[in-house]
Amino acid sequence: MSSIDRRTARLAPLMAATGALAFVLASPLDRAQGLTATPLNAEDTAIGVCGTCHGPDGNSTNPMFPRLAGQHAGYIVRQLKFFKDQSRADPYAIAYMWGMASGLSDDTLEALAQYYARQKTGPGKSHDPATIARGRDIFEHGIPSQGVPACAACHGADALGSDMYPRLAGQHAEYILKQLASFQSNMRNIAVMHGVAQNLRKPEMQAVADYLESLP
Amino acid sequence: MRLWCSSTLMGPAWPARLCALLLLCGAAAPAWAVPSFARQTGLACAACHTVFPELTHFGRVFKANGYVLDNLQQVRAVSSKRQELLDLAKTPALSIMTQVSYTTLKTRLPDVSNPAAPGLTQNGTAGFPQQLSLFYAGKIAPHFGAFAQLTYANDSGTIAIDNTDLRFADMMILPHKQSLIYGISLNNNPTVQDLWNSTPAFGFPFASSNAAVSPLAGTQIDGALAQSVAGMSAYAFWKESLYLEAGIYRSAKQGQTNVLTGAAGPLDGTASNVIEGGAPYWRAAYEHNWGANSLEVGMYGAEFKLFPGAGAPLQGPDNRFNDVAEDFQYQYVGEDHILSVEGTRIHEKMSLAASAAAGASNATDDLTTDRLWATYYYRRELGGTIGWFSTAGSTDSGLYPATVTLPSGAVCACGVVTSANGSPDTKGLIGEVNYLPWLNVKLSLQYTHYTKFNGGSTNYDGFGRNASDNDTVYLLLWFAY
Repeated sequence: MSSIDRRTARLAPLMAATGALAFVLASPLDRAQGLTATPLNAEDTAIGVCGTCHGPDGNSTNPMFPRLAGQHAGYIVRQLKFFKDQSRADPYAIAYMWGMASGLSDDTLEALAQYYARQKTGPGKSHDPATIARGRDIFEHGIPSQGVPACAACHGADALGSDMYPRLAGQHAEYILKQLASFQSNMRNIAVMHGVAQNLRKPEMQAVADYLESLP
Repeated sequence: MRLWCSSTLMGPAWPARLCALLLLCGAAAPAWAVPSFARQTGLACAACHTVFPELTHFGRVFKANGYVLDNLQQVRAVSSKRQELLDLAKTPALSIMTQVSYTTLKTRLPDVSNPAAPGLTQNGTAGFPQQLSLFYAGKIAPHFGAFAQLTYANDSGTIAIDNTDLRFADMMILPHKQSLIYGISLNNNPTVQDLWNSTPAFGFPFASSNAAVSPLAGTQIDGALAQSVAGMSAYAFWKESLYLEAGIYRSAKQGQTNVLTGAAGPLDGTASNVIEGGAPYWRAAYEHNWGANSLEVGMYGAEFKLFPGAGAPLQGPDNRFNDVAEDFQYQYVGEDHILSVEGTRIHEKMSLAASAAAGASNATDDLTTDRLWATYYYRRELGGTIGWFSTAGSTDSGLYPATVTLPSGAVCACGVVTSANGSPDTKGLIGEVNYLPWLNVKLSLQYTHYTKFNGGSTNYDGFGRNASDNDTVYLLLWFAY
């Protein structure tokens, strides 16, 4: 028997054993690979499924996908329901979240939201101090001459939000800009935010987004 | 179908030469984006693909998980002990894919159909369709999914099993929120199960003309054994970053019968290029993702011991091919701009005891294939790829002959698909422009330019044909639904 034959002969049972082990490891009750997660395995779902885009602990590194760590559970639940009933219709919601949320039960989306709400947020990202200062000023005081109210009035002085209004501290600047564009075009149809976004110029949006991303 | 046509084997080499003569390669058809995945998951193509068929990180994870992510309504059955007995989507994961093409060569080919009246062939080949495929692509049962393709191709005029990848996969969450995806793939083409587009089965060009002239040389792992083997491999994907896989392939010929029994096996000497025992396959890769960027570097390889067969018994000396390859893939996937840069280098060491004993080759040879390409898309709508390819290796007039054997058995001094100097060297560039009016419809214009073909730039076949005479314009309408 050649060395290759011997190697092959050794590999064959190893492969079979690996296959058998894999089947054994999959317990019958844990076989739903879709998003019909129950509160019992919501954490695994968050890490193994949602985590591919949002990061295992909700601190996504890709600015196309929002950071969910530390986000208020009530806000997440409401957004997931909007995805599920397809009433939130910004481009990424349509492409990704309509499908991902379609099979979520109320229990599951509540459990997922609780998981993200208790995750620790990451550090803020540094930006140009002048831009941050301008963004902070807009966030805290608005731009009265343009009819832009202070963001802090709803999102909180430190942008930590509430169950009603999302936490914005630490969110990707690119994601915030994308949402402002969606409010502007009414693809995300929220009257208050439409009004705010309509009256903000692009450099002002960028300054606010950079300021928010710089927060922990 | 891929451009690369392997003829690196074999004692009686007419099957390989016939392949070249017919200006097609029965090698790996590319894999497609499959709309049934979108129906099953509810996700748009853009979740899993930059532009089909190239995968994003999410697409790679979906594949590693066995194609089973499912948001459809299910038909279910559960035992009295709550054991899940059935979890079947109400909509079957079926898709149809069509390619319609038009191919023009820079210089017409000689018409050798009637040796008494030599002439020139037509130029301009319409493929209507070039290829039509039916897929089952999606979940079969929890943790068990398939990407299975049945293809009609206009060159063969028949329907045959195409790329198929059956997967069992599961995931566990390790401490510190680390995911570990693991599974088994049963497939019929080495690298068809791979997650990155830098490896042969799903690499660029994603679609090629089957009416172009293909070079003689190609490595075994580069599609030469596609759809004529069956393999099983086990893999693990840790933190969606480190990927390890090992497997074994064995010959699984389609349309081959035992001469004595007329049954589908065991294989006898009528079969060609039959794997002796099992051929080991391995793969290691690491992917790092940051921001909208993704970088993968990896290696893969296989060792094939093949009996030439084709009239010779499947015993005695064999031909051995040790393939070791490196690959990389960089992707930037933004909302407006998408950039991919990918490449692979495949080294093949050949120990051709069987072919050398038959006087059909050197005792040893080597062959190296390099490919490097970059793709850009604007808003997944308009984009293109520029690619460079090179195959170079030992001169061997047995493997890369100056004549070709026609299906009639006649040896023809026809050129075109031959090499005057016995060298396998082929180099060139491919440029492609694509327009996608919708994410599942692609219009493509591709130009392939050869600076060297079968060992020469000018008069490579000894009959006055230059490498650039095989330059190809390929117009393709490609859609799936």
